[in-house]
Amino acid sequence: MTLVQVSREGPPLVDRYREIAGEGAMRVLEALAYRLRGHRLVMVNSTDTGGGVAEILHRLVRLLEELGVPTTWEVMPGNPRFYGITKTIHNALHGHAGELSAEDREWFSETNRRAAEALALDGDLVMIHDPQPVMLAGLRRAPGQRWLWRCHIDLSNARPEVWDFLAPHVARYDGAVFSHRSFVHDLPLPTWLVPPSIDPLADKNRELDEEEERALLEPYGLPAGRPWVTQVSRFDRLKDPLGVVEAFLLARRRETAHLVLAGGSAADDPEGAEVLAEVRARVNGRPDVSVLALPPDAHRLINALQRRSTVVLQKSIHEGFALTVSEALWKRRAVVAGAVGGIPLQVIHDRTGVLVRSIQGCAYQIVRLLRAPHLRRRLGGAGREHVRDNFLHPREARDYLAVFARLLDSGK
Amino acid sequence: MEAFELTAVVHLVRPAGMAARNLDEMRSSLARAPERALFCHTVQSLLRAPDDDDPPADDLSAWVNGVVQDSETAERIAYAVQSQGAGPEPLRRALLEVLDALPEKTRIARDAPEGGELVFLAADSVPVPTGWEAHRPEELFELLAGAEASVWFYHLIEQPWFGAGDRPLTRWLREAGAGRLADGIDETAAEALPLPALRRRVLGRWRRSELGRRLARAVEQPEEERREAGRAAVAGLVRRLRQGGEEP
Repeated sequence: MTLVQVSREGPPLVDRYREIAGEGAMRVLEALAYRLRGHRLVMVNSTDTGGGVAEILHRLVRLLEELGVPTTWEVMPGNPRFYGITKTIHNALHGHAGELSAEDREWFSETNRRAAEALALDGDLVMIHDPQPVMLAGLRRAPGQRWLWRCHIDLSNARPEVWDFLAPHVARYDGAVFSHRSFVHDLPLPTWLVPPSIDPLADKNRELDEEEERALLEPYGLPAGRPWVTQVSRFDRLKDPLGVVEAFLLARRRETAHLVLAGGSAADDPEGAEVLAEVRARVNGRPDVSVLALPPDAHRLINALQRRSTVVLQKSIHEGFALTVSEALWKRRAVVAGAVGGIPLQVIHDRTGVLVRSIQGCAYQIVRLLRAPHLRRRLGGAGREHVRDNFLHPREARDYLAVFARLLDSGK
Repeated sequence: MEAFELTAVVHLVRPAGMAARNLDEMRSSLARAPERALFCHTVQSLLRAPDDDDPPADDLSAWVNGVVQDSETAERIAYAVQSQGAGPEPLRRALLEVLDALPEKTRIARDAPEGGELVFLAADSVPVPTGWEAHRPEELFELLAGAEASVWFYHLIEQPWFGAGDRPLTRWLREAGAGRLADGIDETAAEALPLPALRRRVLGRWRRSELGRRLARAVEQPEEERREAGRAAVAGLVRRLRQGGEEP
C-alpha cells in the first residue's frame, strides 16, 4: 500500500488552526489555496510513521484537502537493504563517514525505478521529500508537471562522494526547498528557504490542564518548591549537555534552582549512551539535578516539563533548526539558547529570549532570568507571538503553496 | 470606474549568493546586492512581527551590532534604513554612505566568527488576491480595517518601494475623488511606521474625515432618531469606560 490515508478525526483543522494562528493568517492561506484551484498535489516520502517529515505530512495533507487543494501522499516502497543504504546516505550528507559501493548505488537506483512503477504520482505538482525518492523526477516526469525537492537535511557538510551521486538527480527538479540558509548546497535550479514549524495541536505542544500536568510529572519526583531549569534534547555532544551542567553549577552559586536534563534513552545510539553516562557521572549524587532518559513517545511528558520550567535551555554548539526552541517559546517560557543554526531565527536576543555563546554567558542569563519574573513574562509573551507569526504549521503550508504558485507562474 | 481589489503577499526567501565577514565585505556586497536582497534585510523585516509597535531591528544593523559589535555603525545603519523608505537605490546610497565614512582599517578590523557571516538572502513576492473588492473609497477603508497585515504591507509599503513611490491604492482613491485621503495615506506611509501604527493612523484619518460627513447626514435626520443615536453613543462610551476600568 503506497497511498497514505490521513486521519480526519475531530473538527476540521482549518477551524482549529484559525483559533490559534488567527483569522488573518488563515485568510491568506485560503486565498493562496484558491489561487491553486484546479491543480492537484502529490507528496512523496519514504515512511508514514516516525520522524518529523511524516508528522507534518499527516497534518499538511489533511489541511490542504480541507482548503480545497486535492492532495495525496504516497510512500515509496522500500526494503531493508535500501533503508540501510539511505541511512548511509543520510549520515554522509550530515558529514559523517560513509561510502556507497557500486552495488549500493545500483540497489538504490533499482528501488527508485520500482517505486516509479508502483506510485501513481498523478498530480501536476509533485513534492519529493528528502533523498530516498530523489530519482523519481528523472524517471516519471510527465508533460506539464512541476517537481519540487524538499530537503529536510543540513547539506552544508555533505560528503562529496555521496552528494555527487545525488546531485544529477536533484538537478532534474524545477526547484528545491531547504529549511535554513546554512543547509543549502549549490544547485543549478531555483532554491527557496522554508523554515520548519511546530504543530500547536500536537501532544507535545497542546495546552495541558493542571491535573494532567501533575499526573505526568508526579512519577519523576521532581521538586515542586524550586524553579526548574530544563534542557530537553538528545544526549549528543553538539547539544552540549555537559556545558549545561557546568553553567547550572555556576548559576547555583547565586540562585536556588533544579536542573532537569531530559532526552532520549539513547538505547540505539552508542555515542548518546556514552554522553549520557558522562552526564550522570558529572552530576552523581547532586540532589539539585535530575537526568531523565525518556522513551521516544514521551511527547506529553516533554510538554509538561517545558510548561512547568522557569527557564528552558537549548545550549547547543552546533544545530540544525532546533524546533525545541519554538516549542518552549510557544509555551511562553524564558529561553536561553546557543546562537547557532536556526536558533537566532527563533530567539531574537533580549526580545523573544536570550542568546549565549559561552558557559559563563549561559550561567549569567540563567541567574538573570531566575531573578526577574517581569523579564521572563516579557520574553515569554513575545516568544509566543513570534512563534505564532512565524513557526506554526499554517505558515509552513502557506509557504509551500506560495512556492507552487511561483513554479506554476514560471512555467507559463 | 474599476473596483480595487486588496492583495495580500507572501515572501519566498532564497539565498542571494553573497556573504560578508566584515564591514568591508558588507560594503562591497551592498554595492551589488539585488534589490530583492536589500528589501529582504530591511523593509520586509517589518512583516516578521506584524503586530508589534516596536518591531525588531533590520537584519543589517542587527548583524553589525550583534556580530561585528560596532554599535555606532549599527545605529547609523538602522537610521539609514528607517529614513530611506523611498526605494532600493536611495537606501543603497544611504547604506554605502555610512560604510564609506568608516576608514578602511575600521571596516576590516573585526571579522565575524566562523558561522557568523552575514549571508545575503532575497525575498521574492507572491501576491495573493484576496477577492475583497472596493467600489467606493469608504468601502476600501472598511475592507482595509478588516484586512491582515500583509495587505497593508503590500499596498502601502512594498508597492511604492519597488515602484518609485507609486501607490496603486492611493492612485485609485484619487481617481475615485478622495484626493485628500490619498494624500494623507501617502504622507503617513512615507513615515516608515511599524504596521500597527500605520494602520491606526490611516484608519484614524479616515474616521476623522467621516465625522463631517456623518454630521451632515445626522442633520438631515428627524429629531427623535438623532436623540436615539446620541443615547446609543453615550451608552457605548460608558460601556467602554467600565470595561476599561475593570482591566487588571
